[in-house]
Amino acid sequence: MSRRLWPRGLRARLLVAFVLVTVLGAVAAAWSSAGSASTALVTSTQQRLTETIVGQIGAITPQLTYPPDQGALDLLRAAVGTDTLVTYQNLRSVDGADLGLVTDALRTAVHTQNQLVTQRITVNGRPWLLVGTPITITAPDGTRTPSGIEVYTVRDLTDVEQQIDGLAGSAVSTAALAVPLAVLLALLAAGSVLRPVRELRDTARRLAAGDLDARTPPQGADELAELTVTLNEMAESVQTSMVAMQRMQADARRFAADVSHELRTPLSTLTAVVEVLATTADGMEADARESAQMAIIETHRLVRLVEDLMEVSRLDAGTASLRVEEVDVVGVVRDGLRARGWLDLVELVAPEEILLRLDRRRLDVIVANLVGNALRHGEPPVRLDISASREQVWIEVTDSGPGLPEHVLPHVFDRFYKADSARTRTPGSGLGLAIALENARLHGGDLTAGNSSGGGARFVLRLPRDLEDV
Amino acid sequence: MKRIWLAVVVLLLAGCGVQPSWVTAGGEAPTGVAPGVTLYFVDAHEQLRPQLRPTGHLGAISEAAALLLTGPGNSDLHTEIASQAVTQVVVTTTPGVIQLLVPLTIHDMSPLGIDQIVCTALGVHVQGGGARNMKVQVRFTQPTPESDKQRTCPLIR
Repeated sequence: MSRRLWPRGLRARLLVAFVLVTVLGAVAAAWSSAGSASTALVTSTQQRLTETIVGQIGAITPQLTYPPDQGALDLLRAAVGTDTLVTYQNLRSVDGADLGLVTDALRTAVHTQNQLVTQRITVNGRPWLLVGTPITITAPDGTRTPSGIEVYTVRDLTDVEQQIDGLAGSAVSTAALAVPLAVLLALLAAGSVLRPVRELRDTARRLAAGDLDARTPPQGADELAELTVTLNEMAESVQTSMVAMQRMQADARRFAADVSHELRTPLSTLTAVVEVLATTADGMEADARESAQMAIIETHRLVRLVEDLMEVSRLDAGTASLRVEEVDVVGVVRDGLRARGWLDLVELVAPEEILLRLDRRRLDVIVANLVGNALRHGEPPVRLDISASREQVWIEVTDSGPGLPEHVLPHVFDRFYKADSARTRTPGSGLGLAIALENARLHGGDLTAGNSSGGGARFVLRLPRDLEDV
Repeated sequence: MKRIWLAVVVLLLAGCGVQPSWVTAGGEAPTGVAPGVTLYFVDAHEQLRPQLRPTGHLGAISEAAALLLTGPGNSDLHTEIASQAVTQVVVTTTPGVIQLLVPLTIHDMSPLGIDQIVCTALGVHVQGGGARNMKVQVRFTQPTPESDKQRTCPLIR
């Protein structure tokens, strides 16, 4: 509970700390000064009162008969004032109001000490000064002996208390005056600390958002300035390594593009030769024909690989062009399946017609790749669902095979990733899904891989309906 | 934590108002009562002797001086001050000096007689709570250098 009361913000904490320190300091100063002032006030008042009493008694004693009778005691009492009691052996002066206040300790002290004694007491919240004194007989040679007459008197100290309360009150109001000043100072101090912190935070945010040029100019030479310099250095090194990495990436891409481009020319020649070889293969002997057919198949694979590499290079370089036109998605998919002879193998579930603005060729590439994979790696029946909402169109390809293993899922879209390392010689280039994903992204859509509840692998292509924004 | 705050509050409250105290000494007790006044006369060996006159109270210096001037009465002491019809003595007390204006001349008394007056006046002063190093000046009716002397009592030092 108390932990919750403690403010969390740096500004609030500074403010509270400042105000606490100020108030404590002011209270301590005010308390000590008021304390010493009140002590001095009480002491001087007490001294004045006792001196007055001694003077009053001393003025009348030479005229007092000794041993005193009742009249003498009453005379003495009248001289000292009301609230006074004078005793001598068994005699007591009349009229001793409020003398119930006189304590036994004071009486004992008067009996034993042979000098004037005082005591302050508080009864029902009112402060009183008790004064008790014996009256002594002084011999001509100066020796003093108790006369047996004792005077007890009570004085009200309420006035003094009121003065002290006034002192304390003014001390409190002075302390209260210091509080707004402390708040102002705390706000200034908090501002001077928090401004650099806020600037640092903004810079860090910009860096996190990808603006690697963001820097904070360091001010002053304090710890915050050091932190700023460190942050700037960090941003600098991150920026440097990012630039280096980007350059390396660009180099690698250009290399792949160059290689595939350079391979194309000899490959087209090779393709032409292989086609000639294919026309004459029937007349060969069995061994030679098998070799020739293998060369033909591998050459075709090589051609496809180079074409895929070039496509990937174009997509990476951002030079791939999107030829958008309004097409019927269902029609394009059905045509693609028909062209590849897959209509009998795939169960197509789709509405009559979904019109969408997109690149017909690229959609065909995606669907062909997904369905081809399903037929090649999964088990029939393969199911293709097309559905649409107001904003999006989903094309879902599901097979009935064992599905994608858990460890493969994060890598299915990686280039040249082979789920089964033993099965290296598949007809695919290893770039199909990567190209499909890039094509989907080119449309502002997405391609995700997963497993259906039935166990088979499921790929979902999501395309947005309004392509105008892309 | 709560205890610290409580202690602080108690401490702050303790700083306010008039605090009760124990019994403390407040100085010398008043004095001045006496069964009578002490007058100084001279015995047969020409020595100053105190005589308690039981008046019931100490009284003022002028009363004591007046009593002294009236004489020792029936006792074996005698006075060295010539008896007078007028016994009124005017007493003026200034800081350090008690001035007595006696209705006599320097020829009405011996030096021991002056001591009688000085000792009686000083005795009353001391018994009434006064300081013992007080000086006494006895002024006579006729001008004389003796009037300006500040005297002390040989018995009260």
